[in-house]
Amino acid sequence: MDNSILKASHLSKYFGSGHTEVRAVDDISINIKAGELVLIMGPSGSGKTTLLSMLGALLQPSKGTVYINNVNISELKDTKLPEIRALNIGFIFQSFNLLEALTVEENILFPSQLRSEGINKAKDRADKLITQLNLQHRRNVLPHTLSGGEKQRVAIARALINEPKLILADEPTGNLDSETGQEVMMILHDLARDHGYSVLLVTHDPRVEEIADRILWLEDGKLHDRKLEQHAWAIDPVCGMKVDQWKATIFSNYAEKRYTFCSSRCQERFHENPDAYIK
Amino acid sequence: MFKWAWKSLFNQPGHLLGSALGIASAFILVIFFDSVWRGESVQVVAYPDNMKPDIWVMQSGVGNMHMAMSFVWDWKAKKIEKIEGVKKVTPILYTSSIITVNNKEMFAFIVGLLPDAQRAGPWEMAAGRQIESPGEVLIPDVLSKIGNINIGDSLQIIDQIFTVTGLTKGTFSSANTVLFVPFSNLDKILSSSGTYSYLLVDTEEGIDAKKLARKIKSDVAKVNALTHKEFIANDLSMAKQMGVEIIVMMTIICSVLAALIVAFTSYSLIMRKRKELAIIKALGVNNRTVLYSVTAQSIIVTLLGFILATAFTVFVIPTLPQLIPQLTVLVSIDAIIQLGLIALIVSIAGALIPAYMVLRVDPATAFHV
Repeated sequence: MDNSILKASHLSKYFGSGHTEVRAVDDISINIKAGELVLIMGPSGSGKTTLLSMLGALLQPSKGTVYINNVNISELKDTKLPEIRALNIGFIFQSFNLLEALTVEENILFPSQLRSEGINKAKDRADKLITQLNLQHRRNVLPHTLSGGEKQRVAIARALINEPKLILADEPTGNLDSETGQEVMMILHDLARDHGYSVLLVTHDPRVEEIADRILWLEDGKLHDRKLEQHAWAIDPVCGMKVDQWKATIFSNYAEKRYTFCSSRCQERFHENPDAYIK
Repeated sequence: MFKWAWKSLFNQPGHLLGSALGIASAFILVIFFDSVWRGESVQVVAYPDNMKPDIWVMQSGVGNMHMAMSFVWDWKAKKIEKIEGVKKVTPILYTSSIITVNNKEMFAFIVGLLPDAQRAGPWEMAAGRQIESPGEVLIPDVLSKIGNINIGDSLQIIDQIFTVTGLTKGTFSSANTVLFVPFSNLDKILSSSGTYSYLLVDTEEGIDAKKLARKIKSDVAKVNALTHKEFIANDLSMAKQMGVEIIVMMTIICSVLAALIVAFTSYSLIMRKRKELAIIKALGVNNRTVLYSVTAQSIIVTLLGFILATAFTVFVIPTLPQLIPQLTVLVSIDAIIQLGLIALIVSIAGALIPAYMVLRVDPATAFHV
C-alpha cells in the first residue's frame, strides 16, 4: 500500500433501478495523501454529499472501493463502520452539529469515549485543543450561547479529539460571515500544513480555492481536476456564481452580448427581466 | 453517551415533565382501580370482620356470608351453648336484598338482631340510637349522606317500612351496605320461624377455637363451624372472585395505555432528537449503544412517572373518600410494588418501537442542513 490516507477507486453510487435509476456518483477515483488539503466543488445536486458520505464510511458504495488508512472499508460489515468513523475520521459539518445538551468541553470530549483509553488522556488533548482554538472562556457553556465561529471551532476540536488522520468537512464556512469563515479556513489549512492532517473539503465558497492543494470539480456525478484544465471564468448574471465557460452549456444572447449561466433556472430568471441583471 | 442521554432528557424540563405526567396518569389509574378494589374487598367483609366471634356456625355446606343463605334451627343454638368451652352464642338472622334510596338501587346486607344481641350489632354509631322496638332500622352514615335519609325518615326494606333511628359508621361499601333491623321484622320477612342464619360463638378463655369448631361440627348435625379467621378468608375470597376480573382488565388496559404513552414519549423524543442521533451515529457511536441510551431515557421517564404516581397514591388517593363518601380505598405496598414491576415492563415495551426507529436513523443525514 502507498502513503495515501484516503484512496477511492471507481466509486459509484446508484439510487433506484431501471429507468428510474439515478447515478449520484459515477466512477470516481480520488487519492488524498497526508498533509494534503483537497477541495471538492460543484453545483447543488452534483453528488458532493453522497461522495462525502461514502468517503466518510457513512454510506456503502454501489461499486468501487474506499481505503482509509489502508483499510478497505467497502468490504467491512455495516457494524464495523462506526468504529472506523470514530477512530479514523473527523467530521466538520456546515450546521456545526453540536449536541445541544452538552457543554463545549463535553461536546469536544464526546468522540473520545469511543476510543479505548483513559479519560485523563482525552482531557489533556481537549485542554490543548480548547487553548489552541481559543475556547478557554467558553469551556462550560452550552452551544446555544456560542457565536457561529465559536460553534465551528468547537466542531473542529471535536473532529480532532481522537487524532484522526482524515478530516472531512462539509461546507464548513456555509453558515459563517466572511471574516469568521476566513478564520475557520485558515485553521483547516494549518491542520493540513502544520499537523499533517488530510483534509477533504466540500464547499461552494470560492475564497477557499486559495488555500487548497487541489481543487476537484464534481458535476453530474463525475469528478474533474480543475487545476489541470483550462478555464475561462464567466459570472452568472443572476446568481453571481463563477461559471467555467469551457464547460458551460447554458448561454443566452441579449443586447448583442453573450451571457453564461450556471443553470437553466438562472437562465429563465434572466429572460423574465434581463435589464434587472445587467449592470 | 449516557451523559448525553441524561442531559438531553433534562435539557427540556417541560417536555420531560409533560411525558412523566402522562405516564403517571396511566399509573394512577392502575393504582386507583387497585385501591378501590382492595378497599371494597375489605369493606365487603366489614360486618363479619368487626364482629370477631371466635367461631362462626352456619348451615352445613355454607362457608361464608357474602351472597350466601344459611338456616340453623334454634334448638341447635341451644345445644351448642351447652358444649364445654362455649361462653356465649349470639344468633342473627341475615339476608341480602336490593333497597331503593334516592331513586338508586343498592345491594344491602340486612342483619336481624334479637333484643339482647347488641354483641352482633353496629360497632360504631355516628348518630342516633340503637334499635329498641320493631319497625326501626340503623343505616350507614354514608347512605344517609348520599341517599339524603336522616334519622326519623322512612325506608322500605323488601315489603316493610322502617323508621331510621340511628346512623352507623364503617358499614357502607359500593358492593353492599349493612342495615340492622329487629330480629322479629326480618323473621316475618323471611318466614323463618324457629331458625337463625348464623351463630356467633364466643369461647371461654384459653379454649382452642379450631378444636372447638371441630367439636361443634361433630356434635351438632348439619352445621358448619369455622374459626373467625377461616370464615373471613372465605368471605374475602368470594368477594375478590367477583371483582378480580374487572380489576385485572382495568390493570391491563391502563398498563397498555401507559406503554402507549411511554412509546409516544420516546417516539416524540426521538423525533426531536433525530438530527442529534444522526450526528452521534456519524461520529461513530454504534446502534447498540444508541439503543441502550434511548431505552435508558425511556426508563428514566417511566421512573419519574412512577414516582409522581406513587406520591399521588400516598398523599391524594387516601383523601378521596372525604370528597366521595361512597368510595372506599385501600392503598397497599403490594400494589405499589406491583406497579413498579409494571412500570419497568412498560418502559422497556414502550421503548421498542422508538428503538426500531433509532436503528433506521441514517447517520449520513448529519450532513443535511
